[in-house]
Parts: sequence; C-alpha cells; structure tokens
Amino acid sequence: MAATTADGSKVVGGGEKSNVDEESKMITLFSSDGERFEVTQEAAAMSQTIHHMMEDGCVDDEGVHLPNVGSSILAMVIEYCNRHVASPDEKEDIRSFDAGFVNVEHHTLFDIIRAANYLDVKELMDLCCQTVADSIKSKSVEEIRELFGIVNDFTPEEEAEIRKENQWAFE
Amino acid sequence: MSFRSLIQDMRDEFGSISRHGLRASRSHRAVAAPGVGASAAAGLVDALEGTCWAQLPPELLREVLVRVEVDDTLWPSRRDVVACAGVCRAWRGIMKEVVRVPEASGKLTFPISLKQPGPKESTLKCFIRRNRTTQTYYLYIGITEALADDGKFLLAARKCRKPTYTDYLISLDMGDMSKGSSTYIGKLRSNFLGTKFTVYDAHPPYDGAVVSKSRSARMVGLNQVSPRIPAGNYPVSQISFELNVLGSRGPRRMNCVMSSIPASAVEEGGKAPTQTEFPLNNIDSFPSIPFFRSKSAHMDSTAPQIPAQNEEKLVLKNKSPRWHEQLQCWCLNFRGRVTVASVKNFQLVASDETGPAGQEQDKVILQFGKIGKDLFTMDYRYPISAFQAFAICLSSFDTKIACE
Repeated sequence: MAATTADGSKVVGGGEKSNVDEESKMITLFSSDGERFEVTQEAAAMSQTIHHMMEDGCVDDEGVHLPNVGSSILAMVIEYCNRHVASPDEKEDIRSFDAGFVNVEHHTLFDIIRAANYLDVKELMDLCCQTVADSIKSKSVEEIRELFGIVNDFTPEEEAEIRKENQWAFE
Repeated sequence: MSFRSLIQDMRDEFGSISRHGLRASRSHRAVAAPGVGASAAAGLVDALEGTCWAQLPPELLREVLVRVEVDDTLWPSRRDVVACAGVCRAWRGIMKEVVRVPEASGKLTFPISLKQPGPKESTLKCFIRRNRTTQTYYLYIGITEALADDGKFLLAARKCRKPTYTDYLISLDMGDMSKGSSTYIGKLRSNFLGTKFTVYDAHPPYDGAVVSKSRSARMVGLNQVSPRIPAGNYPVSQISFELNVLGSRGPRRMNCVMSSIPASAVEEGGKAPTQTEFPLNNIDSFPSIPFFRSKSAHMDSTAPQIPAQNEEKLVLKNKSPRWHEQLQCWCLNFRGRVTVASVKNFQLVASDETGPAGQEQDKVILQFGKIGKDLFTMDYRYPISAFQAFAICLSSFDTKIACE
C-alpha cells in the first residue's frame, strides 16, 4: 500500500522491498490529518514509540493514531524506515539515500526532527541533527540567525560582549 | 524568493511575540505533554506554512549544538561554537553548558578560557611571536603538531617603557592594545631594575580580591573591598629573578608567587579559582554577576577554594638545569619543544616548601623556550591560565638578570 504526499514527489510503501514473499505483518498508522498509512511492523518498530505500543499490546485492530505528525512528514518518516529495514547492510546505498533524504528545505528538516523525536526514531534523529549541525558550520552569527529565522534577544551590553567574543574567535 | 520574504514576515511577528515569552512557555508545555501541547504548536506552525527554529524544544536544540561542539574541537573550526553562543539567549545558555572548562576538556573555546586554569591531564601547546620593531608579543595556540604554525591568536602584549618601570599591556585584540579598551585583560609591570614583576588582572580573579590603586599597592582587607570597582588592577602574581650561586655564569633563579591560587590547588583533589564570565562593562550590573556559577563545566559545583589572606599561596620555581659535562652547558629536558639554547628558557614547577630540601615536584606547569628568531614555545597546564602563563613568559623576556 502506498500513499502519495501533497506534492506527489515522494512515494511511500513497499515498492522497494525485495522480499515480497515474506510474511510481513502490517500495521496501520493515521496521521494528524487523518490519512492512512500501511506499514510493515518491522519498519514501524524503528519508532521506539510505536514499538513500545505494540509490545504493550496498546495497538488495536484499527491502528495507531499519531496526532502530532502530519501526513506529508509521516510519509517521509515511513519512507526512511522502509529503506533502512529493507537493506540495512548496504552501507553505501544507505548513505547516499540518507544524503538525498535530508536534502530538503530547512523548515522541512525541522518538521522531520520534531516527528522523529516524537516517534523516537533514533537513527533519523541522529541524521537530521547532524545535518542541522553541519548547516551551522563556517557561518557567522548573523548568517546563523538568518538561516534559522532567530531573533537577537540580547541586551546591548550582552551584544557588545558577544561582538568582542566573535571578533576574537574569528581573528 | 518568496519563502525568504515569508520567513522575514514571520520573523518580525515572532520577534515581538518571543520577547514576551509566550512562545517559550508554549513550546515548554509541548515538551512536557507531547500529546496535548505539541499538537497545538504543530498546528500553529502548519498554519504559518513554515517554521521558526526558535520553537525547537531545548533538548532537541541541545542535540544539534552538542554535535557542533564535538565536531569542532580544534581551531579554527572551533569558532563555530563561539558563533552558536552568540545567536540568541537560548543558544548561548545551552552552548555555555555544553562547553567544559579547559581544565576538564583541554580545549580553549571562549575568551574567558584564557583566564581559566589549563588542563590537569595534559598541556596546552602555544607559541609566542615577538615583533621587535613594534615591541609587541603575540600568543597563539598551535593548531597542528608543529612547534609553530599559523596558530589561533589568543593574546597580544605591547611593551610600554616608562622612566621608573615598564608595563606590558595584555589584550584580546591585537589591533587595540589600549588600557581603556574593553579587550584589555591585564598587564605585567616590572620594577626599574627588571628584577621584580607583578602581574595585574583587569578583573577580580575571585570575590573579595584585593585591589591595587594605580600608584601604591594598597592592600585592602577582604571585607573592605567594594564590589563596585570596575576594571582595575588586581595583583595576581609576583615574579622575581635572582642570580644563582654561580652568578651570571649560571642559569637565573625564578620565583613566582601566585597570590590568586592556593598552594593546595596542586594537591590531590585541589581546586584553583576559575572565572566564568568577563564582567560586563556596565558598572551597575557588576555586583550581581556571580563569578562561580555552578552550572558551568561538568565539575564539582561546590565553591572553589579561595585563598584567604593567611592561606598559603602557590609558589612556582624554575627547575634546576643539570650541568652537561660533555656539552659544557646547562640542560633541561624540554621534550623537543625548545630547540635553541637561551638564558630565557625555563620550566616552572610547584615548589614544595614542606618537603625535603631540594625536592621538586615533577609536573612542569609552565615551560617556555626559544625555537627561532623571535619565536618561542609556551606550554602550560593546570593550575595557571593562559593569561598568567603569558605574563610570566613576558617577564623572562624583560629581565636583565644573567643576560650577557
């Protein structure tokens, strides 16, 4: 089963799974906006949140409702999990998949981090946080504020101190 | 780009909201109860068709900033850590908590690192360039294994000769060496003969530090010091040079009394006073700045030992070289960090006054020596700071004792 996202560019589902013959139990996930996603339990278990729910028997026949994750982002997270359980040993392929996966708009990265945190998908969290950390490197204070849309909330005295600090650091 | 202008509009709106703290409290609630608050925040974010990274919960922001700090351990890339700490209050708070003091991490990060004790388990390898024309000295920390490389600039000192004394003014900014500047850190003053020196810190090394007026060193009692005194002169070390028994044919003797460091600092479990922030220039905020915030550095948060007036101060002496009969010279083991013989070269160790006469401690706390024309290495470690180490080395440049 696959779901297409709003822009149609990302397709989720078992299309890339190589062993379709294997008996794979499915689980249904519902995004905050009511869209329905069918995922293998194995892929879903990459989310520790869902994994614990499955283990504790909290998942009924209907499925799991995820009120904190919108459909477009949930689709991406599912794509990530499917890819990672499909061929976990092909390191090079996974690496290039990951690089392409995080090559998104900055605000999308923000949404994925929030979702990965809520769903507790550690590998995805690591990947996204590292990507954000890498986007910070070699930037000035102003450039970082611009990139993240952050407001300078220092007092004038603190600002003077910070300017002195940065002037020294970039000397 | 339309996205960019959208962010600009959002930023203007968010800016006015964030200053009132509404955003912060809402995202904080989101962290506490993911099922309830987060959906409200997420819904709001979706409605604005974008995000403001200021909404990132603190623990997630921490995940990002920790990675920046871990990746950028060496200069010049370590400047990323300083840049992050200048973005906004939330980022600064987290970064300051993530970065450990040099004593624990062996890394220099913020300018205040230069006023904090060096690492306990290793030395920080620095070098000094002398410019004879401008009478200026520049301290760098090495960025490779080489004795000297491009380095990362730390401090600069300019010599100012006066009729009865000489001052070396020490600053964070090689372009602005004036005493009135906010980048002024302290100075080294020598007496007329160049035999005795005092290191002055522009900021109090600890609460209740004695203050020295510009002309005479007036020792004020601990309970008499007014905390409202701005950047001034706080004596932190006294250095003296003497000839040894062989006169000018032998190496000179150095004696450094570190009046801001207790002798117990070098003992097992000892602590040295550690500044955590430069005092802001605003005189009104001065008394309220705590110098020892417990959340800084992953260290024991109990109050560090402050040498009371009668407590024994740390004394550093130079290690005695051995006479090498074959080479016909005085030798110290500089472990490859010093390559040119010079009377200025020295190694300082903690003097063990209570031990048997002549016994010296093994750990070299400060090592200084020549590696080329106008080029010198400086290696230091706990319990002294880069600032103190630099000042002590400057005295070796200046003293006339045993110089032929």
